[in-house]
Amino acid sequence: MTRTAILIACGLVAGPIIGGLVSGMDRILTARMQSRIGPPVLQPFYDVVKLLFKEPLVVNVWQAFCAYCYIAAASISVVLFFLQSDLLLIFFVQAVGAVFLVVGALSSTSPFSQIGAHRELLQILSYEPLLVLVVVGFYLETGSFKVADIYAWQHPLLLKLPFLFIVLGYALTIKLRKSPFDLSTCHHAHQELVKGLLTDYSGPFLALTEIGHWFEVVLLLGVCTLFWATSWVGMAVLLAGTYFLEVLVDNTTSRMTWRWMLSYVWGVGLTLSIVNLIWLHQG
Amino acid sequence: MDIRAGLIAILVLAPFGGAILCAVLGASRVIRSSIVLATGAVLIASALWLIPLVPFRLPAESFLGLNLHTLIQAADVVLLLIILYYGLKHKHLVIVALAVLQLLLTSYLEFFMLKGPLPVERVFCDHLSLMMVLIISIVGSIICYQAIPYMENHEHHYHILKSRQPRFFFVMLLFLGGMNGLVLFNDLTFIYFFFEVTTLCSFLLIGHDRTAIATRNALRALWMNSVGGAAFIVGIIAAYHETGTLELQKILATSGAGSGVYLLALALLCLASFVKSAQFPFQSWLLGAMVAPTPVSALLHSSTMVKVGIYLVLRLAPGFNGTLLSDSVAVFGAFSFLAGAALAVGQSNGKKVLAYSTISNLGLIFACAGLNTAEAMIAAMLLLAFHAVVKAMLFLSVGAIEQHIASRDIEDMRGLYAVMPLTALITVSGVIMMIMPPFGVLLSKWMAMEAAARNLYVIVMVALGSALTVIYWARWAGTLMSDPFAGRFRPEHQPVLTWLALGPLCVGGGVMSVLAPWLYTRMIVPMLASPYTPAYMNKAGSLENVYGTFAVLPLSVVALLGLVVAVIALKRAFHAKIASPYLSGIQTGEPSMFLGPMNQPVKAEAKNYYLDTIFGEARLTDWVNLGGGILLTLILGGAL
Repeated sequence: MTRTAILIACGLVAGPIIGGLVSGMDRILTARMQSRIGPPVLQPFYDVVKLLFKEPLVVNVWQAFCAYCYIAAASISVVLFFLQSDLLLIFFVQAVGAVFLVVGALSSTSPFSQIGAHRELLQILSYEPLLVLVVVGFYLETGSFKVADIYAWQHPLLLKLPFLFIVLGYALTIKLRKSPFDLSTCHHAHQELVKGLLTDYSGPFLALTEIGHWFEVVLLLGVCTLFWATSWVGMAVLLAGTYFLEVLVDNTTSRMTWRWMLSYVWGVGLTLSIVNLIWLHQG
Repeated sequence: MDIRAGLIAILVLAPFGGAILCAVLGASRVIRSSIVLATGAVLIASALWLIPLVPFRLPAESFLGLNLHTLIQAADVVLLLIILYYGLKHKHLVIVALAVLQLLLTSYLEFFMLKGPLPVERVFCDHLSLMMVLIISIVGSIICYQAIPYMENHEHHYHILKSRQPRFFFVMLLFLGGMNGLVLFNDLTFIYFFFEVTTLCSFLLIGHDRTAIATRNALRALWMNSVGGAAFIVGIIAAYHETGTLELQKILATSGAGSGVYLLALALLCLASFVKSAQFPFQSWLLGAMVAPTPVSALLHSSTMVKVGIYLVLRLAPGFNGTLLSDSVAVFGAFSFLAGAALAVGQSNGKKVLAYSTISNLGLIFACAGLNTAEAMIAAMLLLAFHAVVKAMLFLSVGAIEQHIASRDIEDMRGLYAVMPLTALITVSGVIMMIMPPFGVLLSKWMAMEAAARNLYVIVMVALGSALTVIYWARWAGTLMSDPFAGRFRPEHQPVLTWLALGPLCVGGGVMSVLAPWLYTRMIVPMLASPYTPAYMNKAGSLENVYGTFAVLPLSVVALLGLVVAVIALKRAFHAKIASPYLSGIQTGEPSMFLGPMNQPVKAEAKNYYLDTIFGEARLTDWVNLGGGILLTLILGGAL
């Protein structure tokens, strides 16, 4: 009982803290790649705190509702991950948040948030099947969907699921809103659609969507750790390497269209997943 | 008389009686409505009464002193003659040919084949039948209730002077009786008779409005379902030839040692089921059925007609466990799930989205039946129940919306919350129940996915289909709420019976979801006879097995807490400052206008993505039909 309570608390605290720190480091790394110094590592926290104390301003009252549902679902999914629950269930809970974020954006009539919302739906369409297949890969190798059993597995899973790790990388790039998949909303001011999905979320509600995003980042990085769960060093190296690659890709590619995203991610992602799943079937 | 026999008689005959009363006395609105209300009440009460009595088997030799078998056979011939009459009347050769073929085959079976003892256990009522009876009687009655105000409006709207409602309710009630008969009897000839009853009823209901398009679509439904009927009777003959009995349970118990004819018989019965459930390539009759008044669609899609196919295949599944037939049914179902979801994405017509979503969900149930493991069967049965409730609710909401805004196009429902806030919210909750945990539909989808994980073909198609499903539902929900600030919440005016239909379905769907673990232990576990075992355990409200866990109750509690917080946030947002949507220009007083060139106000508009260059009907239908056709050939050929 106390263990459960501690794990829940860990999940609730770790989400924003780790997610915020990762975001801060991401900004520094990006700045260095662009020959800038970049903001302090705690800058994301300053931003969010500032937003939280702004006067609430809404276009449609249901935006407030959707922002809360988003952060609720995102935090529950991280808590479930800390409780080492069922991985497929965790992704379904995370998808609830993603859907509410879209519904909130659609509730504004601004064409910017409408188009952003539809692009976000296409992003969900691109990565969701891949996430399911990654989870299926875990199951075929370890015989379980539960995070606890996957962590308990004696061998590093990366060796058995190399392609599925690449596939997860695609999903991660989309979820982190990194180029070339930053179609629905992004941080770069030069794009044709900048804030898109988040255009009409403002003040405290925008802060909530940012914290929710941190939770989602923590969840996906948590899933990455499953690939090398046998040693702390392996886990850390894998995470650092993966995130560095994400930032590198973000800074060296440009945004593409949703048609390209859908055909490319489904084409390459599905092929890689199916090949890897066939190996597991035969193995 | 045995109380169980009495209940069976009431469940099957009360709707028939109500139907006849409606036809005879139904000219007066008050009398007609009271008959419908009373029949529904009787059905619901008897269905609930049945709960503690199952499972049981009963002989049923005679009815009112007449031999039941002879009675049903005679009724069957009359029924086929009626179908023949309609075929001749509309000069539809296919219908005529199929009706004659079925008459010949039925006579052949009756006069040349049937020897020896006839079935002794005519009634077979286990928990699967019980679940079907509950769905048919409760959801079906609720739909009939909502049809009372709906049809009133409908006739008013179309300026129909001489009311055709007596006929309408006659068929609606008959449909419920036919369905109850279908799921309660064990004798294949009886099941076949009721199968044909549902075919005829759907034909009459689809053609109810008597417009050219209604007649055309009704005829299409009739000929397609006659193909199913013909497959059914050939299947019966093959099964009798192989096993020498007409009792479905005995046929399944022999399991035929995998003999070709035996599996072919099951494959033909599966084919008949796929037609009823409008699986590809037979989907066009169900899509055409939306020309009918919306309560008809609700009835066809949720509690009757399409559920016939599901029920039959779930019944047959133990018979083909472990065969190639089973595997190909799984792939066929998964294909339907994916194709239905893809086609739904390309639609802006709300009723068509619902129709494709039905086909898609039924496909998933068939896929589960084909996977044929305990986990998959549990998923199929849960999905059957939850889909019926939620889909009925969504159809009834769309019916109410359609009568209010005179359109069924999703683009016209933009900002519906401002016009009909309560109906919009109920529709959005329906959408949420379709795609989100901890609700039942998603619970069963989760089970289905975990059960499918070892079948590569199935899991890849299910993964893709499930992502597509999220798209079209989320898009719709968002569109309903899309509005510049709508002011305070004031429920719109609707007939009392509409609220009485939508309310219980919405609340019922939610409560059933929370109680899903107990629904599982009380209803599903008793359904699982050999070769299935109760694969999941109910651990304090979590459904758990060796490899997965879904914390239904804890998640529901947390979700409820989240909802409370979000609603508080919503209430506070009513006091927040209201801004205009961002339009990248100088705002005018109107939230959707900005100042354009020459200081002229310009209206900013955005429409939804329907991606119809990828998912449009024109692009996909032929390919999907081809795929469905190939897989059907695989099923029939694989059985041999």
